[in-house]
Amino acid sequence: MSASLRILPDADAAGPALLDRPLHYFGAGGAITEVASDSLRDHRLRFGSRPLLGGDELIDALAEAGLTGRGGAHLPSVIKWRAVRSAAHADGAVVVANGAESEPDSRKDAALLEFRPHLVLDGLVAAATALDAREAVVWLHESASTTRAAISRALAERTDPVPVRIAVGPDRYLTGESSAIVRALSGGPALPAFRTKPSAIAGVAGRPTLVQNVETLARVALVARGFVPETTLITVVVGDARVVVEAPVSADLHDVVGRVSGLTPGAVLLGGYGGQWCAWSDVAGARLAEDDLRARGLSLGAGVVSVLPPGECGLARTSSLIAYLAEQGARQCGPCRFGLPAVADSLALLVRGGRRSRHERERLATFLSEIRGRGACGHPDGAVRMVASALSVFAGDVAAHRRGGCLMRWEPVR
Amino acid sequence: MSAQLRVDIVACDGVGICAHLAPDVVRVDSWGFPILPAAPLSGAQERQARAAVTGCPRKALFLAK
Repeated sequence: MSASLRILPDADAAGPALLDRPLHYFGAGGAITEVASDSLRDHRLRFGSRPLLGGDELIDALAEAGLTGRGGAHLPSVIKWRAVRSAAHADGAVVVANGAESEPDSRKDAALLEFRPHLVLDGLVAAATALDAREAVVWLHESASTTRAAISRALAERTDPVPVRIAVGPDRYLTGESSAIVRALSGGPALPAFRTKPSAIAGVAGRPTLVQNVETLARVALVARGFVPETTLITVVVGDARVVVEAPVSADLHDVVGRVSGLTPGAVLLGGYGGQWCAWSDVAGARLAEDDLRARGLSLGAGVVSVLPPGECGLARTSSLIAYLAEQGARQCGPCRFGLPAVADSLALLVRGGRRSRHERERLATFLSEIRGRGACGHPDGAVRMVASALSVFAGDVAAHRRGGCLMRWEPVR
Repeated sequence: MSAQLRVDIVACDGVGICAHLAPDVVRVDSWGFPILPAAPLSGAQERQARAAVTGCPRKALFLAK
């Protein structure tokens, strides 16, 4: 990209940071770090005036910047943008900022919506303009009152060329799944749909629809200003505490987790409830860059690193995670309705251990292989991936539990 | 040529008739829902698959080229 496109000539090419400092959250509440939500004036001082790039120029800049989806999939964003652009429709396209952050361990989307609402909205409006959309929607969970208030306040301060509205769905895990959003905005329930065409081609009421995570849109707003972002937002989770940090993608997991938690964990769960358990010694040196992680068969998903605190049993933790995922499923398809509860029950038996669990490991392996790749959405796949990784990382615990003990929280073997 | 049997897994109720009509194509999982081959079907398999598509009471199966 040419230097002349930069509107802040003395700023670093990567652009200003999204966040000033780490944000601390505790329990289900809001941030306990004292940060004010950006007013439009704060926003312009921090990030500069309106985006410069629009239309195909913006799409090309996104491609050049290598922007990928921060909702968890990490696919190049331009794939969807170009699909929407090519699928002309008489009623125009629809663009959606997906702020229904469903991953229980993640807080980075809420942080952006709350503290940098104008940046997210700039990205959404830039997308709407570039894709000739007539409708722009900010999609949230219905109970997300803090983020909703921040977006409402921001909208009242701005005049945009495209009308932007807020729409909400139920406080469920799958409310943030893109086909569920499209179905809800088309007048149906907020549940995943079986699709033969992507929503970029035939989405809300058959119109081409761009559904993009809010962090992705914040980065679109930076790219539209001529910057090439080189950071990523990560939520580091230790027990009930969650810390949202912005880290350069060149940093490694040890830098981030060590600095935030001060712990040397035994294991970490990368990518949230649908992610993968890893032995800390295997991944401490891994860089945050998604390409590097993919080369190791890993992903940070929506940017979540959950630490297994010393002294906690990873198998028991996995059992509570899969129970949650089974409960939160849409229960529309067999793999989700029957498969996930079966996996949850089987894992609970393994944790309980003893004689009844003797053949459970093999039964569980069968369930996992039968479910993989068969759900209407990615939910069952994520759940299966997480459980399979636990069986490998915590293999020693599986054996110990079978004998009636536990490696992490050691109990005498009878 | 070389069609693939696919299922709308949301519409499917796990009735299981497909596994009887197309035994060389469809196997069922632990809960009675069809597991379909990713590979393209042979001619004989495709004949069975067509019967399964027609016979599915939920109209959940379809052939994709």
